[in-house]
Amino acid sequence: MYLDEKGAAGAKTADVLVIDDEESMREGCHQTLEADGYRATTAQDGRRGLELIETMHPKVVIVDLKMPGITGMEVLAEISKIDPTIVSIVITGYGSVESAVESMKIGAFDYMTKPFGPERLLESVKRGMNLNEERKAAAQPSISPEAGEAVEGPALDQQTVALKSLELLGQYYSLGLDKRDFLDELVNLETEARFHAETLGWIKEREKILREVLQNLRVVDEVIAQYEYEKSAVLQVMLEVQRRLNWLPRHALKWISRRLKVSLGRLYSIATFYEALSLEPSGAYLVEVCTGTACHVRGAPQLNATVSALLGIQPGQTDSNMLFTLKNVHCLGCCALAPVMKIGEQYYSNPTMKKLEGIFDSLKREKQDYAKVEVA
Amino acid sequence: MPRLKSPDDLYELREKLKQERDQRHTCVTICSGTGCIACRSQDVVAEFEREMAEKGLEDKVALRRTGCYGLCERGPIVVILPERICYLGTKAEDVSEIVSETLVKGRHVDRLLYEDVETGQRIVRLDDIPFYRKQERLLLEANSLVDPKRIEDYIAIGGYSALAKVLLEMNAEAVIEEIEKAGLRGRGGGGFPVGSKWRTTRDVPSDPKYIIVNADEGDPGAYMDRSILEGNPHSVLEGLIIGAFAIGSQKGYVYVRQEYPLAVENTEIAIKQLEEYGLIGKDILGSGFSFTVDIQRGAGAFVSGESSALMSAIEGKVGEPRLKYVHTAVKGLWDKPTCLNNVETFANVPLIINNGSDWYGRIGSDNSKGTKIFSLVGKVNNTGLVEIPMGMSLREIVYDIGGGIPNGKKFKAVQTGGPSGGVLPEGMLDIPVDFDRLEKVGSMMGSGGMIVMDEDTCMVDTARYYTDFLAHESCGKCVPCREGLRQMLRILDNITSGKGREGDIELLEELSEFLQEAAFCALGSTAPNPVLSTIAHFRDEYDAHIRDKRCPSGVCKDLIAYQIDAEACIGCGTCARNCPVDAISEVEGENTVYEIDQGKCIKCGNCIDVCPPKVEAVVKISSSVLLESA
Repeated sequence: MYLDEKGAAGAKTADVLVIDDEESMREGCHQTLEADGYRATTAQDGRRGLELIETMHPKVVIVDLKMPGITGMEVLAEISKIDPTIVSIVITGYGSVESAVESMKIGAFDYMTKPFGPERLLESVKRGMNLNEERKAAAQPSISPEAGEAVEGPALDQQTVALKSLELLGQYYSLGLDKRDFLDELVNLETEARFHAETLGWIKEREKILREVLQNLRVVDEVIAQYEYEKSAVLQVMLEVQRRLNWLPRHALKWISRRLKVSLGRLYSIATFYEALSLEPSGAYLVEVCTGTACHVRGAPQLNATVSALLGIQPGQTDSNMLFTLKNVHCLGCCALAPVMKIGEQYYSNPTMKKLEGIFDSLKREKQDYAKVEVA
Repeated sequence: MPRLKSPDDLYELREKLKQERDQRHTCVTICSGTGCIACRSQDVVAEFEREMAEKGLEDKVALRRTGCYGLCERGPIVVILPERICYLGTKAEDVSEIVSETLVKGRHVDRLLYEDVETGQRIVRLDDIPFYRKQERLLLEANSLVDPKRIEDYIAIGGYSALAKVLLEMNAEAVIEEIEKAGLRGRGGGGFPVGSKWRTTRDVPSDPKYIIVNADEGDPGAYMDRSILEGNPHSVLEGLIIGAFAIGSQKGYVYVRQEYPLAVENTEIAIKQLEEYGLIGKDILGSGFSFTVDIQRGAGAFVSGESSALMSAIEGKVGEPRLKYVHTAVKGLWDKPTCLNNVETFANVPLIINNGSDWYGRIGSDNSKGTKIFSLVGKVNNTGLVEIPMGMSLREIVYDIGGGIPNGKKFKAVQTGGPSGGVLPEGMLDIPVDFDRLEKVGSMMGSGGMIVMDEDTCMVDTARYYTDFLAHESCGKCVPCREGLRQMLRILDNITSGKGREGDIELLEELSEFLQEAAFCALGSTAPNPVLSTIAHFRDEYDAHIRDKRCPSGVCKDLIAYQIDAEACIGCGTCARNCPVDAISEVEGENTVYEIDQGKCIKCGNCIDVCPPKVEAVVKISSSVLLESA
């Protein structure tokens, strides 16, 4: 019996199977995977591994290339015969890129060079699980063959790309690198590549934000032009910018300051003096509860308490989803309909608690639908 | 559109427009003021358009979106001219019946007519409804005759003839004299004689001069200016141009609250139309007088309604007041002579020019000529805008026009003058409403807010409310206002939360005196009025809060609690479903009854509102009772 097999006893299926002759490796992988919520099982050699693959149908198999008995390469070849949807990842101890390339050629999805950390393992397994799902979906008899192909397309691409880049790496290093440093260099390069990717992502994000900032500044310019670069129109400019951007971001204020040659300090003194100007972004919906005298005597405090409880925010606050901002206003001039609440351009006269729930729910839904459309 | 080069051009255009209007004798007017729009009057308009097209009535019946009719709580209001049939609370689904019954067959739709509360009788004509019967709608009447977005409507009913008269037949001195003789006083609150303000500005030997419409209506509970600017902006602009001519100004501003988007929009449209017709710009009507107007939006600061603060705001600065040892009429905007008047004041000017100061002098009381528009709101049956000749008693306004207090409750007080005014108890209901007499009894006319309070309104809470408002709106420039109001608010907070102490009332009075004497501007010096007048008339309520830790009106949250009477509760669970914080749950036992978790309760009062009227199991009690029983 294989007494050290983890998780195999009793369990009928597994997400991940780890095949390695080295006990510490098996143990380490098993623990990491289970902690992350995967059902994992292990085998100490290729033969037992293949048995478990037949009985437990794991989704991902991690296999060491160098093992006594049946080698990792042989296991790989067998796996694709048993179930082509299983995703295999190889472990290579004394790293030769050639063997990694070989293994990928016969169907390995990824390779990990020893030693590797838990993040590397989990990331690879996660991608493997995804690919397994894609493969399974593709294997399902689909209504139209095109649809099936479409699903399989990106998976194949991903693998081809990985393969190609590995080959390129191999070529690069075979140009004359000392074999002993090869592994270290490979690890270094991988780190560099990852850093580069992150930087790229950050640059993209930065680009997006910069574009937004530029757009804001363009709005400011439009508004300033509308007021003919008149210094004294600064309050009107700020009001209009506030109306169009929903708040006064710092870059907008700085731009106004530069364009109109008004000190930033004065802009801030104006922005903090007037009720209508805001230095914080507000939610998608501005909920204004009138606290005018007519509203006050007809139950504005009660309306305010109800709205506040339903939205879970106090007046002056915005909810965490940036959906609602609750604001108390002094008088909306709708005194005959007191107590009054206003959202956007719509006024509500003395809404009941049920009505309020309905209003907020439908606004939430509206925003979700809008987000869906935007994503699509 | 043609540029009007002379008064004759204007009269010719008027005749043409009048003829066009006369072709369609019947006119359906639909109120499109903010109140009615809030009640979906736009749907009613759309439905009328559709129905009338379907029935082929477009050539015979005109359709007009008008400004505010005043009875805002009963909107959307539809009035059919010339009979002035008035339909209240009209919904889009009522339209086809109105079209087929009233417009086609000439019959009334009874259920939409006003129902007299006492007799149950239906009233057909707008003017016969008690709310309108005692009013004298010199300014508001025009709201029903014009579409505020069409200058042609205003010209057709005689608009800008006062301007033509002034420009071509009178000189500046004559205009000022006429306004002085009419006895027109500023409607913004102070009641300063308009003619003398104009004369002062005119006589300052400095140019240019500026003229400003103050539409920064900041008083909570007042919306007269909003309704005039939304419903008939041209009446204000005509008054403005006449005023500009009188003081010799060529540049005017309309300073409007940005919280009034429709007023901003309609004023913008009106100014554009004036430019197109050449009624502002160079050489107006061939008179040689030139004038332009800009709109400035107020950014929501109450203190900016004060003249010098408003001018700072127009200059693009923080809207703080400044000491007026030199009056703004002498050194105002950009340190130049500036005349500032309120919306309603300017709207009165064309009336005076057209009808003469003698006619105007016959309306109103001795020292308060003309009409005043009030926003009659709060605990009163007919809430809305009312325009009355000054000198009418409060009783007539509240009971005859306003129809008294709803739900059989007892009248407690009327608050006038906004945060600078005071409360007037029942004993003062018979005083005539005008500038001087309101001030004599410790309140003021203010801009026209008139908030009716019943027995369920707490007077200490009212004082706290205004002090809170003012403490928040104080610009902080002078110490008495900034610190004094804060301290007064703290004391009032204590009293309303049951932490009041003996001597608090005296301390409030002392602070009040300090503010009255030492504050920089009128915001601060009038700020104690709500506190002082409530102390004067309702000292017993202060005592109940301080000594017994009890709010007699059941308003102050910290002094009340909601409870469910287990005997009366029928276990329907409506209250539990309507509690926003899930503070109400079922009590285990034989019968299903509910109880309120006092720790969770936020005292929003939803439970008491939804408990079925026949059950009335939720009761409001004094929280001290709760403490004793626990």
